[in-house]
Amino acid sequence: MMRALLLAWSLGPLLWQLRTSFLLGEVLVGGGVPAGGSPWTLANYRLVLAGDPSLARVLLNSALLGGVTTALTLLLALPCAYGLHHLHGRPRAWISAGLVGAALFPTVLLFLSLLQLARWFGLANHLLALALPYTALSLPLAILLLRAAIADLPSELEDAARLDGLNALQRLRRIVAPLLAPAVASTGLLVFLASWNEYPIALTWLSRSDRLTLPAAMGRIASSSVFTIPYGPFAAATVLGSLPLLLLVLLFQRWIISGLTQGAVKG
Amino acid sequence: MKGLHLDGVCRQAGGRPLLENLELRVAEGECVALLGPSGCGKTTTLRVVAGLDPLSAGRVLLDGEDISGVDPALRRVGMVFQSYALYPHLSVADNLTLGLKIRGVPAAEREERLSRVLSLLRLQDLRPRRPAQLSGGQRQRVALGRALLRQPRIMLLDEPMSNLDAQLREELRPELRALLSGAGHPVLYVTHDQQEAMGLADRIAVLDQGRLQQVGDPRELHHNPANRFVASFLGRPAINLFPPLEGRQLAVRPEHLRVVSGGGLPARVVRAEWNGPQQVLWLDTAAGLLRLLWPASSAPPDTLRVDWDPEHTLAFEASGGDRLPRPDPAWNGDLIRFLQH
Ligand SMILES: Nc1ncnc2c1ncn2[C@@H]1O[C@H](COP(=O)(O)OP(=O)(O)OP(=O)(O)O)[C@@H](O)[C@H]1O
Ligand SMILES: [Mg+2]
Repeated sequence: MMRALLLAWSLGPLLWQLRTSFLLGEVLVGGGVPAGGSPWTLANYRLVLAGDPSLARVLLNSALLGGVTTALTLLLALPCAYGLHHLHGRPRAWISAGLVGAALFPTVLLFLSLLQLARWFGLANHLLALALPYTALSLPLAILLLRAAIADLPSELEDAARLDGLNALQRLRRIVAPLLAPAVASTGLLVFLASWNEYPIALTWLSRSDRLTLPAAMGRIASSSVFTIPYGPFAAATVLGSLPLLLLVLLFQRWIISGLTQGAVKG
Repeated sequence: MKGLHLDGVCRQAGGRPLLENLELRVAEGECVALLGPSGCGKTTTLRVVAGLDPLSAGRVLLDGEDISGVDPALRRVGMVFQSYALYPHLSVADNLTLGLKIRGVPAAEREERLSRVLSLLRLQDLRPRRPAQLSGGQRQRVALGRALLRQPRIMLLDEPMSNLDAQLREELRPELRALLSGAGHPVLYVTHDQQEAMGLADRIAVLDQGRLQQVGDPRELHHNPANRFVASFLGRPAINLFPPLEGRQLAVRPEHLRVVSGGGLPARVVRAEWNGPQQVLWLDTAAGLLRLLWPASSAPPDTLRVDWDPEHTLAFEASGGDRLPRPDPAWNGDLIRFLQH
């Protein structure tokens, strides 16, 4: 019973959007079904895919940006987390506190100053330049998550590797990183999601329509008409925009749950 | 001075001394067993020698050279961790050869050394498996193999056979012994198993609460323990301790108690434990519960009287437990008489 409620709670809105995306505009705003016709249509999808910019293009932009952001974040966060784990005493406490503060800081407060930076460095309308602020904003949380995962690894594994003659970098690459795969996958997914959903910075940095990311494009669709809200196309864009995420989660699901450290130590 | 020398080694952590002024020498090719109750600092001792834990005072010397400050990667120690610490994402073969690869040993030589160790530990068939696909005993053998393959200058073994079944352990013991002493490096061997310590080690070092109690060959520890802790920790069934009297405490090993027809202490048999070659009788006496060895084949009576040769009496300080000189036989008789009433 609880489960059914929970499922309805979380899936309900999604399914409603899915239904909406296949309905004729007239049906949505309360008009009747055209005589003899069906209320179902693919017109909404056709519209968003053929629009300017095409949603396909937008999704590609978002995926590219998300991929670069995720890769950059993980590449930086992993060594940082590893280094932090091996710090001791006061420096570690201070740095951790700083990271928590940074992770909790509301991004919205930053977008004006970031826009200023984009102007100075001429980064406006460069899609991949957005990966810089995105990475910077994701790093604190990513470092904290990965550090927690590193702390969970049996410390004797690294001791054994030290005796095997591996230096810190070799230990990170050959022992720690492979064992962190599940944590890396879930952290990466979070980072990708954050980049996929980010609105204010994308809105202010990008104006050319062929550079838009999904949230910015959605904003355009929603505000394209002053008089009617285009429910149908909007729902279609939402469905298309969440499909890649669904795919990613399904793809990494196995990684995220598999316990890779099994068999390392007794018990 | 060849070999390993722990020179006044201390380790403190969390404001608590874990090791206090440890003084121990292990010669080349010698195997010293570290024996002691759980939490006494055995693993800590090995970690300090390996360089994984810092020491707060003292030095670790190898062949007369102070290695206290040397990076663990350069110390060339082979260590079997109590928890195995196998790399879970690597196959058995890769687990063993990772260190060699890192040190740039050519592939042909790696392969040759690998197959030698694998066949020695009967692991050939398990080569491609991951640690998760191995039984506890197999994992332990892989861990042992990894330490052996390193051709170390010091060998540190932290209960390397605790997960093997008794039969395999007994089978491996002579081989391991040959392997360890043949290689000519000092070996520190941690075990809980006295039998194993006596069978494998040249000398035994008994540790309690981070302090070395006594070092010596098994015979010496058994017959001439330095204090009450060593006397009661070694030997099974455990030594009989009498109630303290006039500041000292006497003790007699179960095998030295003898049954007499007159005199001695009257005793009631409360329990008999049969263990194959003999039985252990638990006796209720005026001196508390005593253990006595009894032939396996004959049924024990309900009551009997026991006595012992004063020559076998060990005396300890009642409070500190330090060994005292053997009491004169008259005192021994006094004790018996005192207990009789
Ligand atoms: N890093 C540390 N900080 C504080 N205390 C520690 C640390 N490492 C170990 N100890 C403590 O030191 C004591 C000795 O630990 P150690 O692991 O050497 O015991 P051991 O003799 O190997 O025991 P066992 O037979 O159970 O393995 C224990 O009381 C343990 O709690
Ligand atoms: Mg231990």
